[in-house]
Amino acid sequence: MNFPDDLKYHKEHTWVRISGKKVTVGITDYAQDSLGDIVYIDLPEVDAEISKDSEFSEIESTKATSSVIAPVSGTVIEVNEDLEESPEIINEDPYGKGWIAVVELSDPSEIDDLLDSADYERYVEEEAK
Amino acid sequence: MRLLVLGAGPGGYVAALKAAQLGAEVTVVEDTEVGGTCLNRGCIPTKALVASAEAIHKARRLKDYGVDVSGEIMPNLSRIMERKDKVVSTQVKGIRSLFKSWGVNLIEGKGMLLTPEKVEVEKRDGSVEIVETDKIIIATGSRPAQIPIFPFDGEHILSSDDALDIKSIPKSLIIVGAGVIGCEFACIFRELGTEVTMVEMMPGAISTEDPEISRLLEKELKKKKIKLMTGVKVEKVEGRHDGIHVGLSGGKELLAEKLLVSIGRSLNTEGIGLEAVGIKKGARGEIVVNEKMETNIEGIYAIGDVTGGILLAHVASKEGVVAAYNACGIEKRIDYSVVPAAIFTSPEIASVGLRENEASEKGIDYATGHFQFRALGKAHAMGEITGFVKVVAERGSDRLLGVHIIGPNASDLVHEAAVAIKAGLKVRDIADTIHAHPTLSEGLMEAAEDVHGEAIHVPKPKK
Repeated sequence: MNFPDDLKYHKEHTWVRISGKKVTVGITDYAQDSLGDIVYIDLPEVDAEISKDSEFSEIESTKATSSVIAPVSGTVIEVNEDLEESPEIINEDPYGKGWIAVVELSDPSEIDDLLDSADYERYVEEEAK
Repeated sequence: MRLLVLGAGPGGYVAALKAAQLGAEVTVVEDTEVGGTCLNRGCIPTKALVASAEAIHKARRLKDYGVDVSGEIMPNLSRIMERKDKVVSTQVKGIRSLFKSWGVNLIEGKGMLLTPEKVEVEKRDGSVEIVETDKIIIATGSRPAQIPIFPFDGEHILSSDDALDIKSIPKSLIIVGAGVIGCEFACIFRELGTEVTMVEMMPGAISTEDPEISRLLEKELKKKKIKLMTGVKVEKVEGRHDGIHVGLSGGKELLAEKLLVSIGRSLNTEGIGLEAVGIKKGARGEIVVNEKMETNIEGIYAIGDVTGGILLAHVASKEGVVAAYNACGIEKRIDYSVVPAAIFTSPEIASVGLRENEASEKGIDYATGHFQFRALGKAHAMGEITGFVKVVAERGSDRLLGVHIIGPNASDLVHEAAVAIKAGLKVRDIADTIHAHPTLSEGLMEAAEDVHGEAIHVPKPKK
């Protein structure tokens, strides 16, 4: 299981990569592994307002349908359209080509509520028990 | 006893056959073709098109099933329509031969009541015949409702009747009304390759169904790239050289080759002599009947869509049976407590009994159970994993109140629940019954188990 340390994590198994006021959002390696083969993602619309701790996308795997919870609040400025045709990219590269959306933060201080990689890894180990 | 049945749709033809079986001397008057809307312009032809659409869908996914295809998968509209017409004509012949077998006299023409004992029939050749009878069952049905500011023209502004007889596949289609008919046609046309946009006044697609089911259907429409615009009204429709322009509330404009209007049904109550004999109509123009399908005029019954109740073929048929018994002197009352309904979208939807919101509105203390088809081996083997079964039950008594299904073969799966509800069974009765493996029916068993938190194929709930 991979937990890159340049990312911040939300307990609902999403990650953000911060670049100024913009963040890239995706689901974690642990999330994609638990879901299994992903067959569909319901991407948010560009310009959609998303809010921290609420569902902003939905992922279907061969095993389950699962909400994707927003790690931060803000406006969606870009979505990964490649996922429409090939959602399995999320399984293959959750932190890279499998990114879901780019969000412009409405409240940058929310970043402080997120976990760093070591804390998230510990959290996942607890949850897996 | 002489009985005249006005209209040979799924209500009228069934009433005619039942009355003939009970010994009545039966005449049926039909101005188009036996089978009515259901067989000629509704249930059956649309299902024939759905079957073609499903074949295209499966053919395009053959690779997933390990089948190689060389060449392109292309719908051939004229062959699809020929097949549909053949399906319909076979069924029409079936009804005609049943009429013959039971001695039902069919008069083809337009009937109008003159008195409770006399009906005038204007035949197709223009001649007029007066038929004398002892009793009458009115079963004239309904037709697609149109919007007065843009009436059907059969060419660019289509009714569901017109959509069943298109001569070419439209490149783009706007569907006004995302109810049952609109959503079924959206799925059919999308599979044929049409760009489909649906416009709906209500906040969601098929808003009469359970909201969880509507939501999943909306997601499946989105997957097919069917565009659904909800909470908007059509304000203007204009045909120009480049197609049909549709102006929406909020100022947005849409453009498509054709427009399909599926906003509901109008009842066929005009020109059939209701006023002449003084038959009572309700606020929406529907013929008012009691549980025995009797109108206010003795000896005259009405059944099916024209009574404005539940506009479903199978309800009309049951009402026809009840009316036939009563007309023949055997008292029977209609029971609407269990009416399964099926919607042939992709995936299919079917429901019976109470929805969760109805249980809540009635103040019932209820519990629900869910089960996803994707947790069943059979669904994976079939390659159809989308959808779920939802069970609504009364707490305490454990009585099954409702079952709502979206997913593969939903329209067939729902009847186990229909029988269970009709028989007043408990959720436990379904859960404790061994269901064959591997089948989709296991989904209902597991959803029933889930009402008590006892389903097997679900992960342990998180604390």
